Amino acid sequence: MNAYAIDSMVAAGPLRVANKRLEALLVARMRALLLMPAFGLVAVVALMRIASFGVLGAPDTPMSMEQRLLPPRGEITDRNGLPLARNYDAFALWYNPTAMKDGGSPLVHRPEEVAAKLAAIFPELDQADVAARLASGRAQYLRRRLLPEEANRVFDIGEPALELPAEKDRFYPQGSMAAHVLGYVKDGVGHLGMESVLNDRLTDSSLRGEPTAIALDLRVQGALEDELNKGMLSVNARGAAGVVLDVDTGEVIAMASLPAFDPNDIKTSDLMISDAEAKLGRTPRVFNSVTNQVYELGSTFKPLTVAAAIDAGIVRDLSLRYDAKPVKVAGRTLADSHNLGDTLNVPEALIHSSNTVTARVADKLGPERLRDTMRALGLAERPYIELPARGAPIWPGEKWSRVTTMTVSYGHGIAVTPLHLASAYAALVNGGVWRPATLYKVEPGKEPAGRRVFKEDTSARMRQLLRMIAVYGTGQSADAPGYRVGGKTGSAEKPSAGGYRKKLLVSTFAAAFPMDNPRYVVVAMLDEPKGTTASSFQRTAAWNAAPIVGKLIPRIGPLLDVRPDLSRDIDISDLRPLIRSDIK
Amino acid sequence: MSSIIPSPIARQPWAMLTPLILLTFFGAAVLYSAAGGKFSPFADTHLLRFAITMVMALIIASMPRDFVKLMAYPGYIIVLLLLVAVEAAGSLGGGSQRWLEVGPIRIQPSELMKPAVALALARFYDTLPTGMIGSWRALLPAGVIIALPVLLVLMQPDLGTALAILFSGAVVMFLAGLPMSWFLSAGALGAVAVPLAYSFALKPYQQRRVTTFLDPESDPLGSGYHITQSKIAIGSGGFSGKGFNEGSQSHLQYLPEPHTDFVFATMAEEWGFLGGLFVIVCFGLILAWGLSVARNAQNRFDRLLAAGMVATMFFYIAINLMMVMGMAPVVGIPLPFMSHGGSSMLTNMMCLGVLMMVYRWNTQRHGGGLLSS
Repeated sequence: MNAYAIDSMVAAGPLRVANKRLEALLVARMRALLLMPAFGLVAVVALMRIASFGVLGAPDTPMSMEQRLLPPRGEITDRNGLPLARNYDAFALWYNPTAMKDGGSPLVHRPEEVAAKLAAIFPELDQADVAARLASGRAQYLRRRLLPEEANRVFDIGEPALELPAEKDRFYPQGSMAAHVLGYVKDGVGHLGMESVLNDRLTDSSLRGEPTAIALDLRVQGALEDELNKGMLSVNARGAAGVVLDVDTGEVIAMASLPAFDPNDIKTSDLMISDAEAKLGRTPRVFNSVTNQVYELGSTFKPLTVAAAIDAGIVRDLSLRYDAKPVKVAGRTLADSHNLGDTLNVPEALIHSSNTVTARVADKLGPERLRDTMRALGLAERPYIELPARGAPIWPGEKWSRVTTMTVSYGHGIAVTPLHLASAYAALVNGGVWRPATLYKVEPGKEPAGRRVFKEDTSARMRQLLRMIAVYGTGQSADAPGYRVGGKTGSAEKPSAGGYRKKLLVSTFAAAFPMDNPRYVVVAMLDEPKGTTASSFQRTAAWNAAPIVGKLIPRIGPLLDVRPDLSRDIDISDLRPLIRSDIK
Repeated sequence: MSSIIPSPIARQPWAMLTPLILLTFFGAAVLYSAAGGKFSPFADTHLLRFAITMVMALIIASMPRDFVKLMAYPGYIIVLLLLVAVEAAGSLGGGSQRWLEVGPIRIQPSELMKPAVALALARFYDTLPTGMIGSWRALLPAGVIIALPVLLVLMQPDLGTALAILFSGAVVMFLAGLPMSWFLSAGALGAVAVPLAYSFALKPYQQRRVTTFLDPESDPLGSGYHITQSKIAIGSGGFSGKGFNEGSQSHLQYLPEPHTDFVFATMAEEWGFLGGLFVIVCFGLILAWGLSVARNAQNRFDRLLAAGMVATMFFYIAINLMMVMGMAPVVGIPLPFMSHGGSSMLTNMMCLGVLMMVYRWNTQRHGGGLLSS
């Protein structure tokens, strides 16, 4: 390069070179001056930027500390704060065939080997199926909800294609317990139960930090499901439903519909059934038979009819004897299941569950007054509960014929949900005030005013009569010693296309305890119980539903602060002489 | 000099050394906080590196001009060979690699290349006759000197360092007096080439950094996370900051790399606008001193060399500051004298050493530096 320099010097001479040098120096000075403001500009911009961050605040993003600490979805607890639905960090097992990025085989080992290793970690996986899915080369979930230690073991297989993305998942620590009340969450949206009802609240960032307590008592719920399940299995029933209701507040302490589903693991078969099954009147497992399925609940309606008659002054003298022979009306004959004698008084009619006497009492009361009482008990509309799944009752309309009045009086020709019945029984025993059922926790003193359906003394009389049914009548196997149980059985034949089917029953026991100061209503219902050795080959409620309540109440009474006391009971001495003991 | 201060100390460039030392100790304080109130592992090594590289800078400062001129091209070629060696070692080792291990020392040749390119270019324009500055002969060799290392560094791939080399080279060419129209047309060409380079030359992760920079909120949990968290940290500092050791963004580890690339955000959270002002003023004093050294230089070589060093340091500072404030893509360039990192400290102290050398040449025609006086 020095060659150039010598060249040009020789050509131009020293003077010109000196000029050029001076000129170059000037250019360099000018340009250095040009750079200075450019540097300064960056400094000024940086300072202004810091100042603007400080004054205007940094951009707010969902990653602020407070929001990070919030759970992704509010937790649900029972009335005592025990967890029913919580969140946990899980992993998914995602098969990413392109993870290796080399265009070759997606897996290091053969698909069969990888499937065998996965099956060793997850015994429930179908090894052949997993191998086929791995061989297919399609990206997919192989499994959801992996525990951290399982994720570690999958990682140890050493297949880059087996990816373990972290997931926020909803976890129901009690498994299938209270599944219908809670519902489930899919892709961040609550479905079915309180997850759906409370969805806005549970996802609201200002509210979801606090767990939401609902009315359920986890321990009572567990006992209810346990006893219902045992009772259901012992008589091969198709399903069972049960509810425990606070008579004074309407709070649902427990509610169960069996068979249940596991909200931790929703299967397609839980959500839908085939058309053939639907034709048989079957329902999918997510169907809540307590609030959504209506049944003719049979004889459990008789106390409601009698209470309406007592309240209206139709039944004043409980020793008055009614004709108990079959009733011929509008070309039909209404009879008792077996002969109970020629005449019965009202207490005897309830104890032995006489259709004929109840029908004659209702006939005397008249259709309007029976209809208005039934309506006042909420039986003409969908049940009052927060759940979205609420079945509409089959209501016989506004103009009741004589025969309709008579059949409704013993629970036929009207179909309601078990929850309807529980709310009506609460009004029957709590002094006569009907209140809507609720799954929200009711603070003391904040219970709804409700509406008066029966007079106080009618309710007191009904408590005596219900207690007598449990002591002397069809409810004897529900009479848990010391808990002063009162209640009524009901065994209704299920209707089908060709009329009532004698062999398919819905058997119900509706009870309250303790009868001297009722606190809780318990309703247990079995769908299509069979006659088994456990029920002495009987299908009626006295042999299957009543024993469930008899076993349940001693379990839940102490939890609900009702102590067994053999020295206390409601006074039934005035009615006791009216009962003849010769009927069987 | 009739002062009680001995003349080897008095003649040092205190206008630069004072802000430099303040800045380094401030950096150590921020690193102390970033480590959760501990000297180890960041603050102690930071200060140790500063001491070692300061000795190195003083040694550089004492070098005579003729020796530097002599070593310009051989030095450049040696560093270039090292870059090729890195590339070879990387391809043999089966992955990308940016450094060479020589016993206990880890050399990152791309860092050495930044001052080496400026030195080689200064030497080139020094030897180029002034009359030829407007001809292709002024451009082509210089272009090769810049392009070879830029391409090698891009292959590593290290976009940030490649841009740094390109920038300091361009500044030297600008000061060398190449026609202004060339720079304008190069700028226009760049405006056309950038979208093409984005599509074809950048790796997907680099592309993502650029798109995220343009709209960080588009992906606040993914690639935009760094920028967003950094802005939150800076903004939450306010005027005077949350106080020493009180920064939640860095202590709770929301802020990525609180001790390296995003050390400015860590500092701004705890020291606020005042801390930011202090840092920028210190950098401004150092760079202004560097530019004054370049302006006062006695000849072309000195001036271009000094300007190249200032440009290299400026690029570090400007890109890092704009990055943490969300005005530049996240390219992984640390903040000189504050970030915890050996190679950035080495490069910047080398640049300062060269500037001190030119300063010595300017002020003492015959004397040596601290060591050779």
